[in-house]
Amino acid sequence: MNKNMRILIVDDFSTMRRIVKNLLNDLGFTNTAEAEDGNSALAALRSSKFDFVVTDWNMPGMTGIELLKNIRSDPNLAKLPVLMVTAEAKREQIIEAAQNGVNGYIIKPFTAATLQEKLNKIFERLETAA
Amino acid sequence: MNAPGGGHEEVVTRLHAALAALAANDEDGFREAMNSIAEWRASPVMTALARLARELGETLGALQATDPLFAELPDACARLEHVVKMTEEATHKTLDLVERSRELMERIPADAASDITSEIRRNLSEVALAQAYQDLTGQIIKRVVGVVRRVYDAVAAFGIEIPTERADNGLAGPALKGIDTHAVSQGDADDLLSQLDL
Repeated sequence: MNKNMRILIVDDFSTMRRIVKNLLNDLGFTNTAEAEDGNSALAALRSSKFDFVVTDWNMPGMTGIELLKNIRSDPNLAKLPVLMVTAEAKREQIIEAAQNGVNGYIIKPFTAATLQEKLNKIFERLETAA
Repeated sequence: MNAPGGGHEEVVTRLHAALAALAANDEDGFREAMNSIAEWRASPVMTALARLARELGETLGALQATDPLFAELPDACARLEHVVKMTEEATHKTLDLVERSRELMERIPADAASDITSEIRRNLSEVALAQAYQDLTGQIIKRVVGVVRRVYDAVAAFGIEIPTERADNGLAGPALKGIDTHAVSQGDADDLLSQLDL
């Protein structure tokens, strides 16, 4: 896993963005940027190169699931790995995210170990597929 | 002809029949026409509508009786939003201190590092992660505020006059900037206390 990869953290709560950023730093990922909803995230993704997206679901403006759909339907972004970190915990929601091509799903509140495990899993799978 | 729930035209027909009978001094015919109108009014649809109208009236009346509660809804929402803001500020402050402490931990010479320093480092990570409560409680509070606002708007849409008088015990709790104008600072309080020889 490339520790220098550029990661976009998307959450409407500034505290949660900071917590995720801290956790990623702990895991050795220091190349991060932040966006507060799907609209600004999409603009950031279209204007510069990112390798990974960590997004919340429930946000004003564009939600995380809409962001995921937009990423998957944009030829330039379609292959970008997306990890959803959200308090939304209904079975149907997890299924919906999976059907729209999410690479991982973490339910808040979560532990550092969970984040590490999901990251490892996502990149193992991507490397196998490559 | 006697089908319950007949429309507008049928009522007009029956009223005309009643008027014609009255003009012709036909007492039996008049009574019969009036009865048929009464029968129409008693049809299930009309009865149900009348009951609904009565219940709605009673509910609106009851709402008015408890009205000081409604006056507090916008204020309650503003206070809840303020809670989200206060926890957000406190959370950032906690995260500032966690980050600062981590930097200091990095400066401990390698030969002095121990199980104790690595446990402190782990604890700092846990403290940072525990701050996720702010996002989660914030989401719940915002949701409740949304529900309360919709109830308030729905009541206002009925044209019920919402009075400004409040139903609480007069104790405001923590003063909020922009909402409460009564608040004094500790300095103000100390001045007042010293004026009272305390």
